[in-house]
Amino acid sequence: MNLWKRLMCTARRKSPWLFHMNSGSCNGCDIEIIAALSPRYDAEQLGVLLQGSPRHADILVVTGPVTNKAVNAVKTVYDQVCGPKAVVAIGSCPATTNVFIDSRTLDGPLDKHLPVDVYVPGCPPRPDAIIAGVVKAAVLLAERGSDAPKPAIVIAGTAAEEVQP
Amino acid sequence: MNPMLTALARLLIFPGLLFAVPAAWFFLWVERKAVALMQERVGPPFMQPFWDFVKLLGKSTPPRPGIAGFIMRAWPLIAVGSAAGAVGLLPVLPASGGFEGDLILLLALLELPSICIIAAGFSSRSIFGEIGSAREAALSVSYNIVFLLAIVSIAASQRTFRLEALAAMHPTFLTVLGIVAILICLPAKLHINPFSLPNAEQEIYSGPMTEYAGPELAMWELAHGLEWVAATGLVATLIAPHIALAWGTSLLAGFIFVVLSVAVVLLLSVLAAATARLAIDSSVRFYWQCTLIFAVLAISSALFVRFWL
Amino acid sequence: MNILTMLWKNLRRGYQTLLFPARPKVTARFRGLVQFDPALCTGCAVCRMRCTSRAIEFKAGKGEFTWSYNPGQCTFCGRCVEGCTEHALKEGHTEHALSQQQDTPPVYTTQGELKTSYTVARRPPASKPVAAPVAAPTPNPAPGGAQ
Repeated sequence: MNLWKRLMCTARRKSPWLFHMNSGSCNGCDIEIIAALSPRYDAEQLGVLLQGSPRHADILVVTGPVTNKAVNAVKTVYDQVCGPKAVVAIGSCPATTNVFIDSRTLDGPLDKHLPVDVYVPGCPPRPDAIIAGVVKAAVLLAERGSDAPKPAIVIAGTAAEEVQP
Repeated sequence: MNPMLTALARLLIFPGLLFAVPAAWFFLWVERKAVALMQERVGPPFMQPFWDFVKLLGKSTPPRPGIAGFIMRAWPLIAVGSAAGAVGLLPVLPASGGFEGDLILLLALLELPSICIIAAGFSSRSIFGEIGSAREAALSVSYNIVFLLAIVSIAASQRTFRLEALAAMHPTFLTVLGIVAILICLPAKLHINPFSLPNAEQEIYSGPMTEYAGPELAMWELAHGLEWVAATGLVATLIAPHIALAWGTSLLAGFIFVVLSVAVVLLLSVLAAATARLAIDSSVRFYWQCTLIFAVLAISSALFVRFWL
Repeated sequence: MNILTMLWKNLRRGYQTLLFPARPKVTARFRGLVQFDPALCTGCAVCRMRCTSRAIEFKAGKGEFTWSYNPGQCTFCGRCVEGCTEHALKEGHTEHALSQQQDTPPVYTTQGELKTSYTVARRPPASKPVAAPVAAPTPNPAPGGAQ
């Protein structure tokens, strides 16, 4: 089955399908994600497609610091993405809540709820940086193989490390 | 040769699954690449639909408590089977068998994937699936009337329902009108702009397919690709008088068939790149108000030609 | 016919995409990661005060201070660099410790991976060029940022 496994790893690397989730962002990062699909950067040259349903996607692309109202939505959508999956945090907000640090309306950075694989810093990050982040997540997916996907994390305060050997 | 064996060979080998599946991936790539180049993008690489298919086979399917999972999983398989059967009926090579009335069987098999999509949306018990299926059903009723009337008018004017005889016909004004009508119905059948509402991504979370994942989604994508091959192959059959090519070997005729199908794909890609998505009421209104009258005219003139001339 | 002529022109011009991994050059005033030069820093902590997202941390110790910067927290506004420049100019220095890199920050995989920290020993203040009656060097003028 080695040939099939290698074929599957190549396929996962070459065909990363995204689902974009906005957990309270200012929309700056969302606009840059759409710009990454525009003719100048064209994420489709790497096989990246923006899908309409979380069940169709491999990579969950999240923007925004996680507001209180968005926490359950983010966890539900993460559970709906079928494995193997990866999470990319676009912008500084999901990584560290950026300028909204210690705000009453937020519920922590994203890795308090989900295992994040790749962080793309920037406010907003440039579209080529977003594509680089998605490519890195696709490579991680290819290496991850067919492990069982992790459920959404409910422990508060821990920063989950998601670097698989 | 044993007719059962020929039929099986046509279904599974040529132009059946073994040739139709790579052809489906090729046609999907041609459409995506053409749309991308017209939008000044570089588009996906050549093997992209193949990699998408393999990747989808490797994903897990979610647990679906409380839903009749067997029926839900059967719809994509039925869609793939009927689309592959439709491709298998195409007369790619001249004098390759076929039977009286195989045009009707081809039409029935071409219809099944749409019916499977509608049923799948409802059986997935998702509200987005239900809305998408309702839209697909409304669109399907509208374009099917025009589609079937156009095909019946062509067949009536040629006095045959046999695909090979239709492939050999000489084009008259009536048949050209019918082919144009079929081409107008193809965007709705294949879910491309401007009639791509049932599959709209940002509208209803990809409609009937919302709850499908993994290998089931791979089967849906494959059925979609096979639909492309079958539909463009039908148009190529009606356009190409390939048996009338006195100087062609059968291999050349098959090659010309493929080239004509790719030309139809390119034509539909230009249409897809040039238009935006119409809302469901505009789509339905287009087929009922603009094209139905021409289809009725075509069928009545065909019947007139058939019975009174 | 307008859209069709546009499509034809697009086809003739060819694709305008930057093929991966080519990236476009950033413009002259692009604000990237904050760069710190320990040799020039005087430990005034104006940057910590002006930072909008608490990306810069400043710990004052005896005879040394620790300056740390978390690019994950940064919003790349440039207020720290402005503050450092203004303060340095007010003090009579022409150089200042902070600048912004003209390049996109890199993608990382672990939380806090890009955080940098510098521990700088406090230097005695430079002697003033204007002739002052008392030549004895004054002790460290600013307490270096109250905790």
